[in-house]
Amino acid sequence: MNLLSRFRKFSFWSWVWFILGALYFLIPLYATLRHSLRMERDVIGFRAYERAFADPSFLETFLLSNLLAVATIIASIILIVPTAYWIRLRVPEARRITEFITLLPFVVPAIILVFGLIRIYSSPIGIPFTGINLLQPLTTTKLGTYTLIVAGYMVLAMPYMYRSVDTGMRTVDIRTLTEAAQSLGASWFVIVTQVILPNIRSALLSGALLTFAIVVGEVTLASFLGVDAFGPYLFLLGQHRAYEPAALSFVTFLLTWFAMGLIQLVTGGQGQAAGAH
Amino acid sequence: MAYLTLSKITKRYGDALVVDDFNLDMEKGEFVSFLGPSGCGKTTTLRMVAGFEIPTSGKIILSGDDITSKAPNQRNVGMIFQAYALFPNMTVAQNIGFGLRIRKEPESAVTQRVKEMISLINLEKHADKYPYQLSGGQQQRVALARALANRPQVLLLDEPLSALDAKIRVSLRNEIRAIQKTLGITAIFVTHDQEEALSISDRVVVMYDGKVEQLGTPSDIYNFPKTAFVANFVGTLNTANAEVVDPAKGLISVDGVQFGTTKDLKSMKKGDQVRMSIRPERFSFASEEKKENVLDCTIENITFLGSIVRIQVLIGNTKFYMDTFNNPFLELLKVGEKAQVTCSRQAVLVLDSPIEATSPQKDLLETDGILGSV
Repeated sequence: MNLLSRFRKFSFWSWVWFILGALYFLIPLYATLRHSLRMERDVIGFRAYERAFADPSFLETFLLSNLLAVATIIASIILIVPTAYWIRLRVPEARRITEFITLLPFVVPAIILVFGLIRIYSSPIGIPFTGINLLQPLTTTKLGTYTLIVAGYMVLAMPYMYRSVDTGMRTVDIRTLTEAAQSLGASWFVIVTQVILPNIRSALLSGALLTFAIVVGEVTLASFLGVDAFGPYLFLLGQHRAYEPAALSFVTFLLTWFAMGLIQLVTGGQGQAAGAH
Repeated sequence: MAYLTLSKITKRYGDALVVDDFNLDMEKGEFVSFLGPSGCGKTTTLRMVAGFEIPTSGKIILSGDDITSKAPNQRNVGMIFQAYALFPNMTVAQNIGFGLRIRKEPESAVTQRVKEMISLINLEKHADKYPYQLSGGQQQRVALARALANRPQVLLLDEPLSALDAKIRVSLRNEIRAIQKTLGITAIFVTHDQEEALSISDRVVVMYDGKVEQLGTPSDIYNFPKTAFVANFVGTLNTANAEVVDPAKGLISVDGVQFGTTKDLKSMKKGDQVRMSIRPERFSFASEEKKENVLDCTIENITFLGSIVRIQVLIGNTKFYMDTFNNPFLELLKVGEKAQVTCSRQAVLVLDSPIEATSPQKDLLETDGILGSV
């Protein structure tokens, strides 16, 4: 089928809605790009980009946010994959309550979450009336603060990660594959790592991408926990400079699209294979 | 001592009794089918052997080892599922070698065994394909090879042919049976298809409502059904309520028409109600030398079914069906004509558990297309 006949398959109204949707995304993007290129009067150039990249804080905060994003993705997979798997396999009646819990970050603002974290973990946690401390304050050390922020990011990313994983598991017959692997002698660890995870790889990567996007742009948690992440950096920059934040926003956007393209490239064939089954 | 023993197996889900006092002894290399309608407990029983369900009471002994409470991955049992259950992320060869790699067998041994198994199922050209690139029949053959690669002590097949079309179903069931015989592996096959069960099994367990209705060879099950359920479920059957006329001579009567039977009726008395049955193919048109069970009838309907012709006859006030082989050179009687039909005394079965004409069991069976005449 040639390209022209492929396009003809869609109706007029499909095209109208598609173009309207595309414009909704592309116009602000174009405006940002145009703004970022006009730092110098009457000249179109990359001055804003040069200045933004020259600031060492950009690279530091961007790398830190990337590291935190990777840590959040790994921790989310470790928490959510076995949970979603077990719920589908053994306790399907718990699905509703789990879905409700995973939707809470949409209802409870990040500011409440961060104040809750600070309130609980900024002082030692111990057994009442015994003087025994189970956990030292987390906010006083860098590692503790990073642990707290990753935990917070996991909560924020939960609606996206859980849904991606759950949808991925719906496309494969988890129960029968598990039983087949068990009858061949596989342990739970082998089943999850060799049978379940590879078959929901596309879903995992989608969830990971959304988590990445949330973490890299997040401001509230990082600001209140005092973490020098990319979100607060961009926010501060926006308060003092006019063009560099637009340049950095555009670059971040491109990076995200690049990552999406990469995921499509890497998982396209495999995802189709699993889906066809 | 039997190779596989299921002793007094019972399974309850809350108040629901799904399997009730199931007993079975299997010899090594035997092929046994569990046959019954949906919800009769056959799959649950199979899953208890696999370890996916734990019996509420009873024991499962495999080769002298009590496996009742063992985890599925601790039993050396191979399972084949209706939905194939091949791992979509692995090729045919990787699927077959999965169990062997789990057991940490040397890679050379795995490669050798995978090759053997692929050759056994004649899929040499498809070793590097993914499951989605294979047809349903090919996928199920891969599932068979994967289950056999581990050299299981018992092979369990849970309606493995149900998702396939009719022709492939027949060829694959013969292939399964041939491979099972070649390897001498003990196998349990779950199906609701009587033809499948009768054609490939050494013995058949007919189940209904969680209970074993009858256990026997395919020939026993078909020719000598012990209960009304088995008689109705397996094959096509005429059934009717009858009355004992002379217990000593083995005579019963259906609406005044007498039938002789070889069934021992001495424990009964004249006037007792029983349920009788005759397979349609056991009737034939009477010839002069026939002396017993020669019955006057009227031809009511004739249906051409290809290799056989099904004739509906009215004997007394009761409709019966008789089957004769199709012979294009033989002139059939016409509808409305009078004739005489006969059947041997052995063909007249008196069932152990009479059923009422209005029982829900009968309604269920009639919707399944089984013949009944009352």
